[in-house]
Amino acid sequence: MREKLEALLQEAVTELAAIATEEAFHELRVKYLGRKGALTAIMKGVGALPPAERPLIGQVVNSVRDQLEERFDAALATIRNARKAEKLREERLDVTLPGRRRPLGTKHPITLVREEISEIFAGLGFQVAEGPEIELDYYNFEALNFPKDHPARDMQDTFFIGDNLLLRTHTSPVQIRTMLKHAPPVRIIAPGTVYRCDSDATHSPMFHQIEGLMVDKGITFGDLKGVLTIFVNQYFGRGTGVRLRPSFFPFTEPSAEVDIACVICKGKGCRVCKNSGWLEILGAGMVDPEVYRHVHYDPETISGFAFGMGIERIAMLKYGISDMRLLFENDLRFLSQF
Amino acid sequence: MIVTYNWLKEFVDVELPAAELADLLTMLGLEVERMESRGEGMDEVVVALVQEKAQHPNADKLSLCKVNDGREILDIVCGAQNFKAGDRVALARIGAVLPGGLKIKRSKIRGEESFGMLCSEKELGLADESAGIMVLPPDLPLGVPLFEAMGLKDTIFEIGLTPNRADCLSVIGIAREIAAKLGKKISYPGLEVPETGVPISDIASVQVEDPQLCPRYTARYVSGCTIAPSPQWLADRLKAVGLRPINNVVDVTNYVLIEFGHPLHAFDFDLLSGGKIIVRRGADGESFTTLDGQPRHLKASDLTIRDAAKVIALAGVMGGENSEISPGTTNILLESAYFKPSAIRLTAKRLGLHTESSHRFERGTDFHVLTKALDRAASLIAQLSGGSVAQGTIDVSAGPVERKKVPARLDHINRLLGTNLAAEEVIRIFHSLEFTVEIIEPGLFEVEAPSFRVDIEREIDLVEEVARLHGYDKIPVTMPKARVFSDRPTRHQKLENRVKDLLVAHGFNEVVNFSFISPDCYDKILLESSDPRRDSIGLLNPLVAEQSVMRTALLPGILETAARNVSFRVMNQRIFEMRRVYLPRAGRELPDEPINIAALLTGLRDPEGWNQQRGEVDFYDAKGVVENLLDQLKVLNVAYDSSEVENFYHPGKSCNITVNGEVVGSLGEIHPTVQENYGFEKPLYYFEMNFEKLVLCCGEEVAVQVPPRFPDTFRDIAMVLDDGTPAAEILNCIRSLREKEIEGAEIFDLYKGEHIPSGQKSIAVRVRYRSPERTLADEEITRLHTRVVETMIKKLNVSIR
Repeated sequence: MREKLEALLQEAVTELAAIATEEAFHELRVKYLGRKGALTAIMKGVGALPPAERPLIGQVVNSVRDQLEERFDAALATIRNARKAEKLREERLDVTLPGRRRPLGTKHPITLVREEISEIFAGLGFQVAEGPEIELDYYNFEALNFPKDHPARDMQDTFFIGDNLLLRTHTSPVQIRTMLKHAPPVRIIAPGTVYRCDSDATHSPMFHQIEGLMVDKGITFGDLKGVLTIFVNQYFGRGTGVRLRPSFFPFTEPSAEVDIACVICKGKGCRVCKNSGWLEILGAGMVDPEVYRHVHYDPETISGFAFGMGIERIAMLKYGISDMRLLFENDLRFLSQF
Repeated sequence: MIVTYNWLKEFVDVELPAAELADLLTMLGLEVERMESRGEGMDEVVVALVQEKAQHPNADKLSLCKVNDGREILDIVCGAQNFKAGDRVALARIGAVLPGGLKIKRSKIRGEESFGMLCSEKELGLADESAGIMVLPPDLPLGVPLFEAMGLKDTIFEIGLTPNRADCLSVIGIAREIAAKLGKKISYPGLEVPETGVPISDIASVQVEDPQLCPRYTARYVSGCTIAPSPQWLADRLKAVGLRPINNVVDVTNYVLIEFGHPLHAFDFDLLSGGKIIVRRGADGESFTTLDGQPRHLKASDLTIRDAAKVIALAGVMGGENSEISPGTTNILLESAYFKPSAIRLTAKRLGLHTESSHRFERGTDFHVLTKALDRAASLIAQLSGGSVAQGTIDVSAGPVERKKVPARLDHINRLLGTNLAAEEVIRIFHSLEFTVEIIEPGLFEVEAPSFRVDIEREIDLVEEVARLHGYDKIPVTMPKARVFSDRPTRHQKLENRVKDLLVAHGFNEVVNFSFISPDCYDKILLESSDPRRDSIGLLNPLVAEQSVMRTALLPGILETAARNVSFRVMNQRIFEMRRVYLPRAGRELPDEPINIAALLTGLRDPEGWNQQRGEVDFYDAKGVVENLLDQLKVLNVAYDSSEVENFYHPGKSCNITVNGEVVGSLGEIHPTVQENYGFEKPLYYFEMNFEKLVLCCGEEVAVQVPPRFPDTFRDIAMVLDDGTPAAEILNCIRSLREKEIEGAEIFDLYKGEHIPSGQKSIAVRVRYRSPERTLADEEITRLHTRVVETMIKKLNVSIR
């Protein structure tokens, strides 16, 4: 019986070595280890043995079964590995074919710029404030120290709705509305849509600004330079030159135009900066005492600064857009690039 | 304001390179917007002598010249006839580049070689027109660059002045700024007037009837003038600053205008009746013709200058045709006056007549410069026209415009600027600007600005002057020592960004349309004539009619944008706009400006591609976006109601979106007529929502539910029912059983057509069963499912397949 078992094992090993497929493997496994298989057939003979021999032969049977199972497992692994290797050799995709997709949309560049600028100022503790676009003359001009019949009003070509009603020409009225509502300290930015009757490659009758206002005890012109320098460095890149030069706005004094070193030529002079090396990006200044009078703040105890920039101007610089009208044409071939 | 470097140098001793001077001006707040060098790179255009001039052998109109350029004798072919041998001419040597970009090369003209070109004024950029070449004065040295020899080398600065700096609307004003910054003194022009004959008071008189609008009026009389073109130097100066030379009298008044910044006017005295000037307001309905030939209808708000019989000038704006200087003029009355800025502005604005004169008067002129400008002009006119100035000046004055002393505190200056300037430095700055300073106590000054600085009225004006002259670049960069506080964006702002992000995630491109639209749009989108949205706010001065009313709806803009993109051959579009509309509110000064959301889909659902699904978008694509959006915003109790939909939708393929029964938006296929009105070939799907209403019904973050531990089981029902029964009723029917083990149900198939009777549809529903506590037994599920099926048969009259 022992011999029979060993012969069986030997035979199985030989046959196993010859098979290559999983089906052949399963047939073979049934042949040797199945319920009606060769091993079972031999085991049936165990009962016929003398009781004394049975445990010993039982051990041999178990050992042979274990060995058989081990061999079969190993053989199966080999077959499967071989098949997997073969599959891996055969399966090939053209990875250069495009993927299956439904493209995402895009935000308008004006929104993107507004969000990024707002985020930078949010980091400096500025809160976003808003105001109406159809505005009273008082908030748009009068309280900002543009007296009636003053040439400063010529700086902003206004769309009128009525004697006292107009489309705001800048986001500055939000300064007034905010200060009338809140006692100092005030730290806001006010992004919004503004309007002027002007239309060409660099002017649109509707455009967008972001206004900033900070009023507290002891705020200085130096602080204005500090805050704007941080903004410029975060938005246009560390080390971007900033230059403030004197200018005039009725609601700030001293007033400044703020230039940055040309982002195109890095200050060397090019077509975009008209060879000056500088790009004008915003207007700023210390809030004029006359403005405080309108909002009942005491200019002897508090001080502050305001600034305003055109979102389109910044978007045009950032994305290299030369004609502002592109921003309002809503050509999807343009918008889908953002 | 345009000035030239040479002109500035007459008043201030400055030798900086032009680019540095431009930078200095810009950093003083006088922004140099354009700089142009005259004669720059023109050193190869030189003074030359024509030694011989002979006929070109092959061309009648050309001559062959031998020209001495100081170095050698050159053969030159020339087409002009206005010169002869022995003349000095302007020669462009080979290699010279003329202002128009013409590069001079050795050339052969009709067989004869030419080694340069004799130039005309036009070719050299010195005149707009010229007849023939430039023949130069005989004393110019040969070989010297022409611009140098003629003193024409100059730099022109165009300065963008802010409206507060009226004092810089003159060469002297700008020179003063340079002097202040560089610590130099200004040298003013000499003002001796050669007076002769009888006193002016014997010849003319001035009567100011409105001293409020005209606080001062001065005049001089020049007789025996010969009107002629101005000499070259004067004409050149005017041309350089953009003025057109007219004659020696008018040009002098313009010259002095630019030099001193004070507008003057010259009247032909012989045309004034009564030898008299009266300054008086116009009468309503009076009319008069200005120098430009335009009849002007006057009002009582207009200040006029008149003689004994008629209006002769619109004060401070423009003179009259009836008294202008003409070739026959011999006797002149020169006016130099101060007019109230707001009055001049009113008239200039009303008449749309913006002149060099009104520009200055409305910004405020120097009360004390009047007689200086008058003297300067009188002596120049006498000199250039051979006239004689009568003795004396008429000066009718209501007393000077009051100048108050302005207090300035050193600590206040430093506190605002963030500087630490010493008193001496601040005083030095004030003095450099010709301000007088009185020290009241240490750190407290009283400052008086000269009369030309009409903008200095308050302490803050002085702070700005200190900052400006000290230099903005020298003020230290600091960070504010502000109280720490932080506010998060409001819920409204956060949700606005969130909606945009969600729409972008659904493939929509954001568009930005103008807030103003054409009033015709409302017809195009089929709004009822009684629709309140037709009541939009109009602009009084629109640029174009298509942009003349403030929109009350986003749809017209979206449709126009979509149509424009179709014209660009972009056929598959998903676009949205999330911006304000403008709705009038009765009894309120300001309208309501709510934010609306509008989105449009058209074309293919997915882009074309080798492995993409095919198919065009339909109603359910739009609805799916709305559902996702509302789900993400945690809006509950949403329903879609197809009764009473907007006119601009297909009536059978649209609905209102309601939340808790209130309409917050609408959704559907755009009405075929609207589609036609905008020229679309393919159907458009659209939804809009009132963002302000949405904000109110957006849920807060929901409490999460632990994922179920026990498995679910589903059973499907296929049924045939009336086509008019909305799917929502099937789901509501299941929901109405209120069985807590029914987790949900969804419709997974819809079929109409063959094998289904007409007017009926087949719907397949999958019902999901689950208990949170245990695995449901088969019998339990069967019991529940039987109930579902029976209810459906009973309530909806379905037949189970």
